[in-house]
Amino acid sequence: MAERSFTTEVLKLRAGDGESFKGEGILAITKGLLQSGVAYVGGYQGSPISHLMDVLNDAQDILGELGVHFEASGSEATAAAMLSASINYPLRGAVTWKSTVGTNVASDALSNIASSGVIGGALIIVGEDYGEGSSIMQERTYAFAMKAQMWLIDPRPNLTSIVDMIESAFQLSEASNTPVFYMMRVRGCHVTGEFTAKDNRPPEFSSKNHVVPNREAEKIILPPHVYQQEQDKISKRWPAAIDFIVDNKLNEFFPGKHKHLGIITCGGTYNTLIRALQRQGLSDNFGNADIPIYVMNVAYPVVPEEVVDFCVGKSHVLLLEEGQPEYIEPAIHTLLRKRDIQTKIHGKDLFTQTGEYTAQITLLGITRFLEIPGLAAVSKRFSVEEVNNFNSPLSDDEHQKLLAVVPPRPSGLCTGCPERPLFSAIKQVQKDLGPFHISSDIGCHSFATLAPFNLGNTIMGYGLSLASSSSIRSALPHKAISIMGDGGFWHNGLSSGVVSAVFNKHDGVLIIVNNGYSAATGGQDIPSMVEPNNIIATTIDAPHSERDDSVSIELACRGAGVEWVRTISTYSIELMKQTLNEALQSSKPGLKVIIAEGECMLNRQRRIKPLMKKSIADGARTLRARFYIDSQTCTGDHACIRLSGCPSLTIKPSSDSLREDPVSYVDNSCVGCGVCGDNVHSAVLCPSFSKIDLIHNPNWLDKLSSSLRKNVIKLFQRYDESRRPGQLL
Amino acid sequence: MTESPAKTINIILAALGGEGGGVFTNWLIEVAESNGWLCQSTSLAGVAQRTGATIYYLELFPNDQRQSRPPVMSLFPAQGDIDIAISSEIAEAGRMLQRGFITPDNTTLVTSTHRVYGITEKSDIGDGTMDASTVLELAAKYSQRLVSFDMSELAKKHNSVISSALFGALAGSNALPFSVQSFKDVIVSTGKAVKTNLAAFDDSYQSAQRAVNGSPVETYQPNQSALTSGSVDTEAPFSLPLATSNAGSELLDRVRDNFPIETHELIYYGLQRLIEYQDFDYANHYLDKLDEILKIDQGQQSFDLTNATARYLALWMCFEDIPRVAQLKIRASRIGEIRQEVQADAEQIIHITEFFRPRPEEICAMLPKSLGRALLSSRLGRRFLELFAGGKKLRTDTLAVYFALRVLASFRAIRRRSLGYDEELRMITSWLDTIKLAAARDPQLSLELALCGRLVKGYGTTRQRTTEQVVSIAEYCRSFANASAKEINNLRLSAIKDDANQAFNQTLIQYRNQC
Repeated sequence: MAERSFTTEVLKLRAGDGESFKGEGILAITKGLLQSGVAYVGGYQGSPISHLMDVLNDAQDILGELGVHFEASGSEATAAAMLSASINYPLRGAVTWKSTVGTNVASDALSNIASSGVIGGALIIVGEDYGEGSSIMQERTYAFAMKAQMWLIDPRPNLTSIVDMIESAFQLSEASNTPVFYMMRVRGCHVTGEFTAKDNRPPEFSSKNHVVPNREAEKIILPPHVYQQEQDKISKRWPAAIDFIVDNKLNEFFPGKHKHLGIITCGGTYNTLIRALQRQGLSDNFGNADIPIYVMNVAYPVVPEEVVDFCVGKSHVLLLEEGQPEYIEPAIHTLLRKRDIQTKIHGKDLFTQTGEYTAQITLLGITRFLEIPGLAAVSKRFSVEEVNNFNSPLSDDEHQKLLAVVPPRPSGLCTGCPERPLFSAIKQVQKDLGPFHISSDIGCHSFATLAPFNLGNTIMGYGLSLASSSSIRSALPHKAISIMGDGGFWHNGLSSGVVSAVFNKHDGVLIIVNNGYSAATGGQDIPSMVEPNNIIATTIDAPHSERDDSVSIELACRGAGVEWVRTISTYSIELMKQTLNEALQSSKPGLKVIIAEGECMLNRQRRIKPLMKKSIADGARTLRARFYIDSQTCTGDHACIRLSGCPSLTIKPSSDSLREDPVSYVDNSCVGCGVCGDNVHSAVLCPSFSKIDLIHNPNWLDKLSSSLRKNVIKLFQRYDESRRPGQLL
Repeated sequence: MTESPAKTINIILAALGGEGGGVFTNWLIEVAESNGWLCQSTSLAGVAQRTGATIYYLELFPNDQRQSRPPVMSLFPAQGDIDIAISSEIAEAGRMLQRGFITPDNTTLVTSTHRVYGITEKSDIGDGTMDASTVLELAAKYSQRLVSFDMSELAKKHNSVISSALFGALAGSNALPFSVQSFKDVIVSTGKAVKTNLAAFDDSYQSAQRAVNGSPVETYQPNQSALTSGSVDTEAPFSLPLATSNAGSELLDRVRDNFPIETHELIYYGLQRLIEYQDFDYANHYLDKLDEILKIDQGQQSFDLTNATARYLALWMCFEDIPRVAQLKIRASRIGEIRQEVQADAEQIIHITEFFRPRPEEICAMLPKSLGRALLSSRLGRRFLELFAGGKKLRTDTLAVYFALRVLASFRAIRRRSLGYDEELRMITSWLDTIKLAAARDPQLSLELALCGRLVKGYGTTRQRTTEQVVSIAEYCRSFANASAKEINNLRLSAIKDDANQAFNQTLIQYRNQC
């Protein structure tokens, strides 16, 4: 079960012809797919398209009714390979992942599908993010589209355009026998709005209506056919695509009174452009602008005649092309120069070379454009200098003052996260045997590379930590240490890592963080995820594994030839330390795998909260634990916080009239995981921590012993009280 | 601003994880739509982790001005083009200021004034909390209209969540052309926690209305800043209360007769603590020591030297040994404090499990000096002590543990003959003697030394480290006649840089080599 549930929202997917559909971008894309008669969908989660996978997952009833086949693919490569169904049959299919990382993983299958060509529309919906909060390197899917001759759609970010372009993208794919990238930006994925729905269309072929197996040898990527396929890409598919784009007006032209100027933008940056023009007084609210605009909803291929027609007769044209490096800009230059058209093209010279085209950057770029020497004057509201002043009204001095009082909020592990005690243990072992070089991986555990743990030296890709240890291991003073998540293990780590390490007699230690979910992307299911009743149960309450996996990580490792495997609860810090010591100092050859088990606390809370509520409501005796710090014994040193970094472990002003430093404090979001208590013991901290068990529906024994204790203690306290006056000031 | 705007209303919201920013956004969309406005929203969520702020951005446009084409709305907040900025926490409002989203021409800022501390603030060895008053000052200067009060506290008061308080404050800010009833209708229509959410909404709405109409809601009280506060607030006069016992009266008379009024407050709190910790005799000892400090205090800045020493001496003399911890764990008021903090229902049974890990050193510290020393120095003695040391989980709500702690607490009777007392007294004396010695050289130097008392804290190895720091500083000051106040100040600051003594040792070595 994913972190965000769309179970109520997906009901909207049943909307029929003419109904108004309100919702998020991601939901609109799904609706667009169903309206287009999609036959199969798949993908791998990752921001910003995680929610698309969640929506599809939650929509399985509706998909089933229509006969749409859905898979939560094992990796992006798995998803890309699904598109092969469209090679021989008129099946429309869509797969999705986070780009550029997912595209890299999928590239083998993508190149092949691009070569074979499709007769059923094939879409790859990718999410890109060039913003400062992005978690990936800022490479463009555009480069892949160019080298593999696949098309790339970049729609205007309003729901109507998004949905219309899904249908058009399928048609384009079919008209040109080419798979098509459909690119979304992070804000577009989460944008809300409305559009007019159409009826869903069941696919022509599905489990309800089988295809007749059809073999077309010329579509297999072996010589001599592959040579012909590569020829066809240029001689047949490319012209077919250009014709389709032009005939169906996939790109849009908006007129404007300043005919000597023009602006070319990709669909995704259109809204930001219009807002910038509005602010300069050059457009109304509805996009009726004074400067002509050419919107490339199809970012690749560039349509030569459209570009040329737009530019002819204009002195200056501005291009908004987000991302680095620029590909459209040189393409336009080439087109114009070849035709000896002297229109001046501006682009990256006026915007930022790297990163997102934000509102401010776009406004600045347009203003700079309008102030180019020699450009016929266009009246505007703000000069470049005035736009620069928008950056901040504050003085430098005030900025400095603010810098000192606005704290950074780096990413960290959640409250009660099972990975926190694991990294505490590694840190303590490092004190004795370190310093360590650690190969890290993609997942929540990546945050161990940040404060307060500062563990980890490299991250090479999803499931690639063990593989990335394979070269450095001979040069290290200690056994190589690799940390991998369960998600990474199934995605890639088992084959690229474990199998290869066993084969090459890798002597290092692999720690697999098994939290039961693909946690970092929003808690999606993974192969080792088990049914709710057998869920991974290694927390403070249940230190021993009681799970019965459908697919076990331990068995997979043993099957791959690993002999030394231990499964340890992350919450047992002492045992984890012992096991790490043993693995690092063992003279036994071969890979040592430690499966560090503890259920993702976010998911665990989501799972047990309703159970606990029900248990309490049913009148059953129920214990709820949380931690507490005695502010009278806490002296305000905060060593506990430096060891843990748990969000629920925080500080509050001291209520003591003499102590000035804030005291540590556990807020009510504490889930009682027990790590604070364990740290008191394993790191010899102060005596201020207590675990408080709140008892709901106590039984007679609870009541009896509680009242007995209370009364006896009260008696003694009253006696103490009676002696107090003499002891008071 | 009820007339139809020619442009969209642009709203940015920053909320920390788990604060209901998504819920708030959905409410706002519903209000806008029920008033006949189009609303577009988007968000930039952090990853699943809960430590960052999520930014939501909304644009509203009146439906009745819609043409054949819908309006084109932006997905990016733009510097200089924000009408309403909402922040669930004051430092996040500071971040919006930094980024240029709050401008005097057009931005209404609605922000809660409470703090949610960042990891750098929390993990500081001393007080790393940032002073939010700067943010409020600049917020007032750069917003067109500011609505700010502690919405977290207000929400707690009504057993509600901060999103309802923010919602009420937004409604009350008059920044949106929507009736307050339409806001309330949305809360009602959710059907969830309607009563508490409405109560928080109403209260917050009223506060915001007062703010908008010019009457101050509350004055913000920033925390005292770190390590510079040796003095107390002299503007609030303090007068010594009446004592409840004869011995108490004698003590207070002594204070009244011998000490200047500026020092009464801290000394009073110090005495209270010492009597509760030990007895009246111990409190008299405290005054004896302070007398000597007062003698060398030239009364600068309202007797800063005496005040600082009064504060840190009282804390140090009440060092946390095992009897003290036991005494605090069985105090009568404790159970009530716990119940309130963990939000236990009335009459709900709770179990309390303490986590202790005493070392042999701490056990010996509570024993008579000679016995403690003997045990610590013999191998057999140490092995015996190991039986009691190590990790323990004890249920203090059970009778056996309660009585065991009573017995441990009763060891305070022999405290002043104990090994721990002997060692602490030695260090305290060294510290006080150096303060006195320094006074002859430079009053500022002695004040700096007195302020070093703040370093002393923690248990076990932490306590060892911090007390040794003070002793080292004192030693340095005694050994080098030209040690300056500035150096002592730097040493004190370096002592709280890290908890491995790295910065401190470096600074100390550097100064020693210079001399």
